[in-house]
Amino acid sequence: MTFHRLRALAAATLSVGLTVLAAAPASAPAKSLPVLTLSGATGSAPLLQLLIPAYLKAHPHQVRIKFAQGGGEVGIQDVAAGRVSIGDASRDPKASDPPGLKFYAWAKDAFCFDVNPQNKLSGLTTAQARAIWGGQVRSWDQVPGATVSGTIDLIARTSASSLPPLVSSILLNGGKVSPVANLLASDSLVENAVARDPRAIGYNSGYYASQRNVHALAYNGVACNLQNVKSGQYPGFRTYYEVTKGPATGQAAKFINWIRSSKPAKKIISTIAIPL
Amino acid sequence: MAATATAPSRAPARARPRADSVRNWRLRQRVAFAAVWAAGLALCAIAVAIVGFMAVKGAQYLDVQTVFSHPRPGVRQIDTGGILDPIEGTLVLTALALALAVPLGVVTALWVVEYGRPRALARLVESGIEIVAGTPDIVIALFGLALFQLPILGALSFTSSGGGVFGRSFFAAGTMLSLIALPIVYTSVREGLTAIPAQMREASWALGKTRICTIRAVLMPRLRRPIVTGSVLGMGRIIGDTAIVIILLGSTPQISPENGPPVLGLLRGTGSTLTTFVYDASPAGEGNAPQKAYAAAFVLLALVLIVNLAVDRLVGHERV
Amino acid sequence: MRAPWTDRQAHRRLGAVACLVLVLIVAMVAFVAVRAWPTLAHNGGVAWLGPGGSTDHQLGGMISTGRHAPAAAYHLRAWPLVYGTLLCAGLAVAIGLAFALLCAIFIVEFAPRRLRAMTIPLVRLLAAVPSVVFGLIGVLVLVPFVGNHIVSAHQKSSVQYVVELTGSSVLVAVLVLTVMVTPIMIAMIVDALRAVPASWTEGAAALGANRWEVIWGVSVRAARPAIVAAAVLACARALGEAVMIAMVAGGRAWAPNLLDGATAIFEPVNTLAASIVGQSEAITAPAVRSTLYAFALLLLFSSLVLSVGGYLAKLPMRRQGIRV
Repeated sequence: MTFHRLRALAAATLSVGLTVLAAAPASAPAKSLPVLTLSGATGSAPLLQLLIPAYLKAHPHQVRIKFAQGGGEVGIQDVAAGRVSIGDASRDPKASDPPGLKFYAWAKDAFCFDVNPQNKLSGLTTAQARAIWGGQVRSWDQVPGATVSGTIDLIARTSASSLPPLVSSILLNGGKVSPVANLLASDSLVENAVARDPRAIGYNSGYYASQRNVHALAYNGVACNLQNVKSGQYPGFRTYYEVTKGPATGQAAKFINWIRSSKPAKKIISTIAIPL
Repeated sequence: MAATATAPSRAPARARPRADSVRNWRLRQRVAFAAVWAAGLALCAIAVAIVGFMAVKGAQYLDVQTVFSHPRPGVRQIDTGGILDPIEGTLVLTALALALAVPLGVVTALWVVEYGRPRALARLVESGIEIVAGTPDIVIALFGLALFQLPILGALSFTSSGGGVFGRSFFAAGTMLSLIALPIVYTSVREGLTAIPAQMREASWALGKTRICTIRAVLMPRLRRPIVTGSVLGMGRIIGDTAIVIILLGSTPQISPENGPPVLGLLRGTGSTLTTFVYDASPAGEGNAPQKAYAAAFVLLALVLIVNLAVDRLVGHERV
Repeated sequence: MRAPWTDRQAHRRLGAVACLVLVLIVAMVAFVAVRAWPTLAHNGGVAWLGPGGSTDHQLGGMISTGRHAPAAAYHLRAWPLVYGTLLCAGLAVAIGLAFALLCAIFIVEFAPRRLRAMTIPLVRLLAAVPSVVFGLIGVLVLVPFVGNHIVSAHQKSSVQYVVELTGSSVLVAVLVLTVMVTPIMIAMIVDALRAVPASWTEGAAALGANRWEVIWGVSVRAARPAIVAAAVLACARALGEAVMIAMVAGGRAWAPNLLDGATAIFEPVNTLAASIVGQSEAITAPAVRSTLYAFALLLLFSSLVLSVGGYLAKLPMRRQGIRV
């Protein structure tokens, strides 16, 4: 191609491109929308993935929301460092948290021990749970009621999650989880792993147990479900918080208020967890 | 040692002499012969198995609706939508990366071959290209993250309210992916340039044309095929790259553009490609959708194979 | 361009663009090193490559340290990851080299013409398959197969107090990695075998050598530089493989104990590149960030060393006139 043709082609492309770019803002929103960023807990992610589209439908053209996961601890650190507008936490505030954070509770959810559906074990007592998770009992043959045999595969969460300390303190009565356990980065990965391995036992939100891919265990004879959490019989529950640096303002405050107090939000939350 | 050759062979040089039958070989050599055949057949079997398995799974789980609908968060796999956004993301990133890699590769190859002085600098640049070719893509990805999280480049991605530059966008991923394609384009153009006989250049110089004019008028028209070959080869590698996209594209299942004019807003935004979609939908990622993973992997493999077929057509069958 | 460029101007301008590559490499080393510096400083240079405690535990503790992490947060002993990287890459390249050599000999010498015409495109096809597809097949087919059918209950219970065997293992990782690096080596070795002068092979045949002796004693010997170069190239690819290993190897920083015998290949493993991918979500935490960049610095350094090694290995090939 000769130089002159090349130059003409470049000029034509440039002018077409500029025209497109110039005309386009007419079809784009009249002003640029503020952006809300959320990151944090994987346990509340299924809930938020239903709540966010509902919020955007109820408040069109007001805000854009970016949602990421990463684990409850990551969410708290992210919002403290200013990387996100709202952090999703799944545990109560601790003294060691960065200063200046405000926690807004919006739901309660259970967390359960799960086993593969092939394992018809009905439940564990505290002592059994401590022995299994602590690594003293390593074979299903030593667990009465288990219908599988062989080595127990422990599936736990990484330290990016807020769940391990809760499981240790509430369900294991302060017992530690053995270092043998496989650490996975999200609740849904734990569900995947338990669903694939007949000899696995893991823990995650009660929501996953209701999906029938895994079988939730009773704790000290009390089944792990939302009714028992509401009645107080099942001790293993945690509160989901939306965390902001300083009191929530602007779009963040609107969003948090909506999920805490609006009727449609409570309806969505109650399909999976307990609205507060 | 083989039996003595009987009659001289009248066949062309590589034909087997009739006395050299495997039955006469030593045991060790016969074992090696069997091993060689086993290896060859195993290679064919593995390749056919991989492609065949993906084809079967793809046919099982891919349908027109999946290809043309957007991914949605969902509990059951039926609800999780399709793979349209990952396909769009792949196309956008490929276009962006090639748009950066091809001019850079062509200019670099032109300079090294046509000018190439000082010699030490030219050799350094060639080594540089080889170093980039050998760098693991995960290292390039982390470099891209460090680069695009600089405040100066904040305009190329999203900046959060607390002042942190996100550093992950189509711009970031596309720029780093162009580094993957750069050595391929460079090598192809350089081979194309060295294949042009010196007489063409000398004839042009003898007519009084400058080097740059010779490049523009004489060499560039003959570089069309090497440039296209290099781009298509680079395209194959870009489409298949996962590590850079995982780190630098923000991993939102749907393409989520930033504020601004349409194209720029899209490039500043985050999204996903077929590769990150497969990773996220597999048991290693967040999602629990192996069926969607198979569907996307089938589309990915089909794209890559089409690209390689195109290279075959362009280059001819001389290469191994 | 009002007036056409003079040669001097063109030389300078094109040269400036060409030198962009060098600027990029220097920038890459600089950025990665600067971000990796805290880990190097707090761990005394290279001590972080050594053994000492559970790397997963150390990484986990880094996540909840805030903006101004105390020095103790940066404590790292990444030996299991280094060992895992060396183990997987080393085994894959060793097995792959043998496999590739046999396949190359098959393609060049023993394959019937029609089979050869089919094998060459298949090699190219294997080389083109993306690593995430390999990883998907590995995690959805090979890992469950190994976990449910190959690992025996006895093996699982023999290590049950130390590590869990779930099928995500060294075995699957090395197997898939071998399949990934073999096509690259096959292409290079075939080129080199074909470039051996015909007079050498015909001379050997004329002296009474059979086909195997010709190819093994003459061609493969002559192609030794190519074999070394191919191994170096495969090493670079194997070291840098992140996504496939992250999907199939178990993601656990564990140094398989070879004294366990056969059970060692069923133990999980993690490599430096795969742990970067695995921890990428937590990269916002400063201590995690500098750790991952330290891993990247190590990978960058080893790829530079391998580039130099590859260049040196290819020198004899260039002398023989083989195009590399």
